[in-house]
Amino acid sequence: MTQTAPGVAVGGLVGDAGDGPVIPRLLSGQTAAGGLGLPDAAYGITGSAAVDRTGPAATVGRLGVPPEWAGTLSLDIDQRGAKSIAVRQFHDGALRVLRPHYLDESGQVCYVVINPGGAYLGGDRYLIEVDVAPGADLLLTTQSATKIYRTPGSRAEQHMRLRLGPRARVECLPDPLIAYREASYVQATRVDMDPTASLIMAEVVTPGWSPDGALFRYDEIRMRNEISIGGRLTLLDNLLIRPGTGSPVDSMCTMGHYTHLGSLLVMDARVDAALVADIHALLAPIDPDGQLGITLLDGPGLALRALSHSTEPLNALIGAAVDHLRGRWTAQAPLNLRKY
Amino acid sequence: MAAAPSYLLPLLQLSDSALPTGAFSHSLGLESYLHRGLVHDEATFADWLTQFIRIQLVHSDALAIRFVLEAETEAELHRVDRELHAAALPREIREAGVKMGARMLEIARAVHPCPELEAYAGAVASGACAGHPALAFAVAGRALGVPAAELLSAYMFSTVTSLTQNAIRGIPLGQSAGQRVLRAAHREVGDAVVLAQTLPREDFGVTAPGLEIAQMQHEHQRARMFMS
Repeated sequence: MTQTAPGVAVGGLVGDAGDGPVIPRLLSGQTAAGGLGLPDAAYGITGSAAVDRTGPAATVGRLGVPPEWAGTLSLDIDQRGAKSIAVRQFHDGALRVLRPHYLDESGQVCYVVINPGGAYLGGDRYLIEVDVAPGADLLLTTQSATKIYRTPGSRAEQHMRLRLGPRARVECLPDPLIAYREASYVQATRVDMDPTASLIMAEVVTPGWSPDGALFRYDEIRMRNEISIGGRLTLLDNLLIRPGTGSPVDSMCTMGHYTHLGSLLVMDARVDAALVADIHALLAPIDPDGQLGITLLDGPGLALRALSHSTEPLNALIGAAVDHLRGRWTAQAPLNLRKY
Repeated sequence: MAAAPSYLLPLLQLSDSALPTGAFSHSLGLESYLHRGLVHDEATFADWLTQFIRIQLVHSDALAIRFVLEAETEAELHRVDRELHAAALPREIREAGVKMGARMLEIARAVHPCPELEAYAGAVASGACAGHPALAFAVAGRALGVPAAELLSAYMFSTVTSLTQNAIRGIPLGQSAGQRVLRAAHREVGDAVVLAQTLPREDFGVTAPGLEIAQMQHEHQRARMFMS
């Protein structure tokens, strides 16, 4: 068990002896500000933990049984003054976040997730849970590509759970996912959001090179996004790419002759058919292969998918769409994610 | 002489590719492949159809039918409806499901009036359910007592037949070529029936990027024969 920083609300293990496995619990008594009597400024934290995690019901299942997870990360984001910040953070195993920073004057806090192990291996299961309080604003990204190595007879999994309160905003813009030879990977993301919240999630999936230079030697990638708005399931995005079995991966309905996949999901009450048409018009000129699809979702929201032979064109398409929305909705400058 | 099972004629009627559900105006992404020139003859259409069966027909429609047959409560049926609707990202596919679902439901209620179909129709009317032809078909089939494998075969082959009729008009293909494609699809549908009864729940709604992109691109295609 590792504390991200002293003073940030992290408890040790609190076991319920005789009641099954030991469940790590976050101790609500140790709050962000002054839990251990340390100055707020040292950690950029300016408030106390707003979320009560005292009862077992609030914590059991949040972080699960320790051996179950190779790494866990939990963040509660709230507003403190004009800025958003993690008022509680917790991590364990091979997941961490860098200290928060602010890319502009909007108050949006940026957290960078890092995997000190460098890659996901077979049997590894990772859990990321993020609560964003009403009105708070989070940009979540990664320090580098998520790499999936061989997972013989097994698979690596990442489970993410996002909760967005009223008027909360999350931009989740990780680096590409690279799956190497004989890798199987499941990425399951569940989002529960208020109808007034705003969500942007992007993903680029690329095959790693195998020693003989061939692409697509990974076994299977599943990307499942389940988004509920106001408690009602609105989007079930369930992509499965499985080279080698079933439909060939180079079939026209799977990847064609392309190798890289880009995806963007936006859930926001301001999305309408006119906005989808605007973004389509904006992106069509930078879609040289004509492999871009964009559609209006219930919610409302929009989905974008694109195929390519490399990462850059996909980053350009997704980046242009994200920057357009930033300019339109929050008057923020185009995103420049310098990696720290 | 043995009589045919009582469900056979209602099943044949609901499986008729000429059933007025509007299926003749939905290519479900095929038209984008025609537009791009990737589907242009019997062989390329047969290839597309195989992929469509393996990807969308099995993982969305057929799994939905199986989950309806397995549903123990009305809430479970509603959950299947919700997931099936939410899994259709391309707008035209979602709208096709709602439109054809309403027509299939109306026809099924006329073919086999029963409380189960009335309850589902009520849920669609109230907005609790979105409606989808596979669900109306499954609710009717369940009330009729159609065995799962037969219900799945009938639904999938009916969809395959509608798409083939659309390909005959859209590519165009000769009628004989269309019948050869349909005959060749027997084995694929047979495999799909087995698969639909064995896939895990996490596979519900699985799709593939190429097909989704084609279905999304259709929205922005200028000259179109089909609504999806």
